Amino acid sequence: MASGSDRSAGFGGIPQIVEILNSQGYIADRELATSVHLSIVLNKPLLIEGEAGVGKTEVAKVMARALDTELIRLQCYEGLDVHTALYEWNYQRQMLRIKLEEMSDRPVEEKEHEIFSEPFLLKRPLLQAITADHSPVLLIDEVDRADEEFEAFLLEVLSDFQVSIPEIGTIRARHVPYVVLTSNRTRELSDALRRRCLYLWIDYPPFEKELTIVHTKVPQINDRLANQICAFMQLIRAVPLSKVPGVAETLDWSAALFALHRDHLDPQAIEETLGCLCKDQEDLVRVRTQYMGPILDTVNGMGASDGWTSERIASLAAQLPKGR
Amino acid sequence: MAGPPNESRPWPPNSPRAADAGRTPRAGRRVRPGNLPANVTLFARRLRRRGLRVGPSEIGDALRALTAVDVSDREEVRLALRTVFASSLGELPVFDEEFARFWNEPIVSDAPAQSEPEEGEDPEGEPSPGAEERTEMSVADWSGEEAAPDEEQSVPAYSPAELRARKDFSAFSADDLDAISELILLIARRIATRLSRRMRSAKRGTLVDLRRTMRRSLQFGGDPVQLLWRRRKIRKAKLVLLCDVSGSMDIYSRFLVQFIYALQDAVGRVESFLFSTSLTRVTDALDQRDIRRALAEASRQVPDWSGGTKIGASLRTFNEIWGRRLLDPRTIVVICSDGWDTGDLEILVDAMRDLRARAGKVIWLNPLLGSPGYEPVTQGMSAALPFVDVFASAHNINSLRELERHLRGPRRNRPPRLDVGAGGRLGGQRR
Repeated sequence: MASGSDRSAGFGGIPQIVEILNSQGYIADRELATSVHLSIVLNKPLLIEGEAGVGKTEVAKVMARALDTELIRLQCYEGLDVHTALYEWNYQRQMLRIKLEEMSDRPVEEKEHEIFSEPFLLKRPLLQAITADHSPVLLIDEVDRADEEFEAFLLEVLSDFQVSIPEIGTIRARHVPYVVLTSNRTRELSDALRRRCLYLWIDYPPFEKELTIVHTKVPQINDRLANQICAFMQLIRAVPLSKVPGVAETLDWSAALFALHRDHLDPQAIEETLGCLCKDQEDLVRVRTQYMGPILDTVNGMGASDGWTSERIASLAAQLPKGR
Repeated sequence: MAGPPNESRPWPPNSPRAADAGRTPRAGRRVRPGNLPANVTLFARRLRRRGLRVGPSEIGDALRALTAVDVSDREEVRLALRTVFASSLGELPVFDEEFARFWNEPIVSDAPAQSEPEEGEDPEGEPSPGAEERTEMSVADWSGEEAAPDEEQSVPAYSPAELRARKDFSAFSADDLDAISELILLIARRIATRLSRRMRSAKRGTLVDLRRTMRRSLQFGGDPVQLLWRRRKIRKAKLVLLCDVSGSMDIYSRFLVQFIYALQDAVGRVESFLFSTSLTRVTDALDQRDIRRALAEASRQVPDWSGGTKIGASLRTFNEIWGRRLLDPRTIVVICSDGWDTGDLEILVDAMRDLRARAGKVIWLNPLLGSPGYEPVTQGMSAALPFVDVFASAHNINSLRELERHLRGPRRNRPPRLDVGAGGRLGGQRR
């Protein structure tokens, strides 16, 4: 493999990654730091899976900052094809050039050769990543949304870091990018792709970690409210909803409650801000009519500041109503 | 599980004198690899036996990874190896279990003897089926193998078959059932060929192929005189089959499963579930060469085959556990049931709404639709109908044949459509 470690040479290992992640406001655990570290050192793509809203994409951004390099992002969607991911010809420019050359006596082959050369090439994310001057971080986001065919193509690019463009020839990466792939598991990825990558699963954070995140991102919030919010979130993830709220929702909600000058959770406060939590009409109704009461009772029943641990909350969550 | 004394490796893994030292110093020093490669290889083999896809390249990565972390720190080694060896959420617990077992923290007395990995491994052989066997099973392509190419043309003109084609499945005697199965396979195979042929020959593009148009335009001095087209690739639909096997539905479900499986090559991936009071996934059980034997096996797996019915609860279970992974706009969901739900109707309505929102098309096959005078008045059926794209029967061979046109792709127009084909009363007689 070509030298991809130009940036990782002075890299300080796991403790430094934890430090950088923390300084960027990202509360990292050791597992995440180890995976990021190994992905850099071994120069293997890192596949991150987890529910929506747990900060998978964030990892790549932080990684780019840690390596002080560029972040190139390829957002996948159904129907994503090679033209959008790799390269496309700049047709307007080609057309213009053809017009300008109309009167010249140059042979057609020469004209053709010219308009199919690099200046007329529009580089899409994958080609950008391959031709970059330093190893960039290439984020392939939500790879599960692209179809199998594209996945196969991706696998090819990820194994050789070279692409061939019929009109130009083969372009090989001078600096192998650091690759991060994320997936929400809406579809099973192929074994081949999985084997090509290191693997990291990011779960919803436990109570303590989520509390730290809230305090870091919404520092003005008071302890009692933060405790209540995080406990509420842990509990609401235990009931059947079609869109389980993630950390992003926790933060939105915290900010909203703070903006409304609330210092504790009560039915009215929740009622007013429920839209931050439930992004689905049916969930909204379900929470309002069925779950809000029991969860709030449970949170209020937890007493003052003592004994707010993820273990206790997990056991309380088991007692919540399950049916719809 | 035999537990020979050398089952657990001393920690740190590469310190041959660990035993003499008692508890090893955990300082951050990096030690040169001792028997580490052998142990990692051995560990990898164990993982492979548990079904993880771990090969030489992963072992190489693991060894490289261990040079990049502090090997005297057990947790760090665990995380590093896990990042390399595990490759999906399901594999994480397996990894953790094996890691705890293999790289056991308590130091065992015969540490220096670790250099004979081959010996240590064999007695611990797990009784679970090896990974090799499993690949072999999944490679088995029964529909291709079983194909009897000689009889293919004879089907449509075969007149006793014509008669049989209109007879309700439940009206056949037990002796006939095998013959019916054969017939269903033949028909399915013909349909499969037709489906794939149609996909290939579709003409006329929908998108301008700019790249080729530009190239061609050079002939005309750069004016795009002739537009060249490309068209979107037609993808095969995926199928999810949810079959009611309670009471009277059993026989219809059996035939439907056989039919769909014979179509497998033409429709892409098929996932199958059986339900009565609860839901069982039988995709793997059906992944065998002989569909009839496979069905027998699947029925052993289903705890309450031919018991009562809880359609709503079963569909909800499906949505919760499988919905997100299996359903997308290209998926056709086929439900075969008479709609007799002994559970809560509200659950059924919720589950159907969910299903319809995520899937590309919902086909409900109700075999009773074939019986004269039937109207979908059971509460379950009328609750489910608003969320169904196609409502049809599956009570005889002809009705299975009719299924072909519904399997061609996801719905075009979104609003629900009640299309009762195959001789049901609602739709009137077709053809």
